[in-house]
Amino acid sequence: MCHVSVGHVARGVEESGIPTVAVYVAAFRFVAEEMSLPRTLITHHPFGRPIGPVGQPARHLEVVLAALGLLEAAERGGTVVEMPGRFAAG
Amino acid sequence: MSESLEEFKDSFSYGSRNDLSFKFLKRLAPDRAAEAIRQILEAVGTSFDTGEVDELHDLVIRWQVAAYAPEAGSPRKYVYHDAPWALPTKPLEASRVGLMASSGHFVAGDDPEPFGVEDMTQLEAVDRIGEFLRETPVLSKIPRDFDPADLRVRHGGYDIRSAVKDFNVTFPRDALLAAQAVGHIGAVADPLYSFPGAASQGRLRKHALPGWIEMLHEAAIDVLLLVPV
Repeated sequence: MCHVSVGHVARGVEESGIPTVAVYVAAFRFVAEEMSLPRTLITHHPFGRPIGPVGQPARHLEVVLAALGLLEAAERGGTVVEMPGRFAAG
Repeated sequence: MSESLEEFKDSFSYGSRNDLSFKFLKRLAPDRAAEAIRQILEAVGTSFDTGEVDELHDLVIRWQVAAYAPEAGSPRKYVYHDAPWALPTKPLEASRVGLMASSGHFVAGDDPEPFGVEDMTQLEAVDRIGEFLRETPVLSKIPRDFDPADLRVRHGGYDIRSAVKDFNVTFPRDALLAAQAVGHIGAVADPLYSFPGAASQGRLRKHALPGWIEMLHEAAIDVLLLVPV
């Protein structure tokens, strides 16, 4: 239900005039698509670890920069982009 | 006492074997859950020889995707056909970037105390997940420059073990600060926000969200990064 909650936040905040981007794990891509979110980055990470593995700041930064990049690159609402790379712990 | 396969797989979702990373097993039909477990065990066995666990992790992720995918033709509740759209008014390198996650973080001394409970444990939050799902979510304001030792996380809907070890996996404050340090963004907004996303959708939209939106505008946030967990 968390992913639906954030979907409603994204829609409401965007409607108020603040651009949003959300990072969803692959398992909940369908929520972002069903809810027609403005901009979504999909990571192939496990449920509960959307930004990446523990102790990997380089991967975290890579994901966050990719998400923020959608704020400039996306041209229309409903944009869903897959983040390259796998979940590589350790 | 005998236990059916259905009872076994269901026990990982708020049952006797509760494990929120594997609660997806409940969503699979018994034969598919059995196949998921077989494949996962096979991958564990392979990893003994290779020392490689990335394939194992990929396998679990693929089963999570399969388990949560809606069944064809199943009724869907939150489907919208219009995508709201607002354009950034300034470049990222000049923007104040906000962070809001449904991660259940808060700082010591500012526990939202759900249902009036002081120092609620993660275990109790898991046990009371049904009550959370009927409640209005409470938003926690988290100072941008918080000391990690002061950060707490509690959320009955996901496996918080990773978030306890490294908050950045669900609440990427440090990545935003790194982006600011190299001039990729103008500034990280202060405070940051988190709430337990397991909540009543009606109450969220009617009672919580309007105030949250007003607060974001008052904080002069230019763009918002959202992290559902």
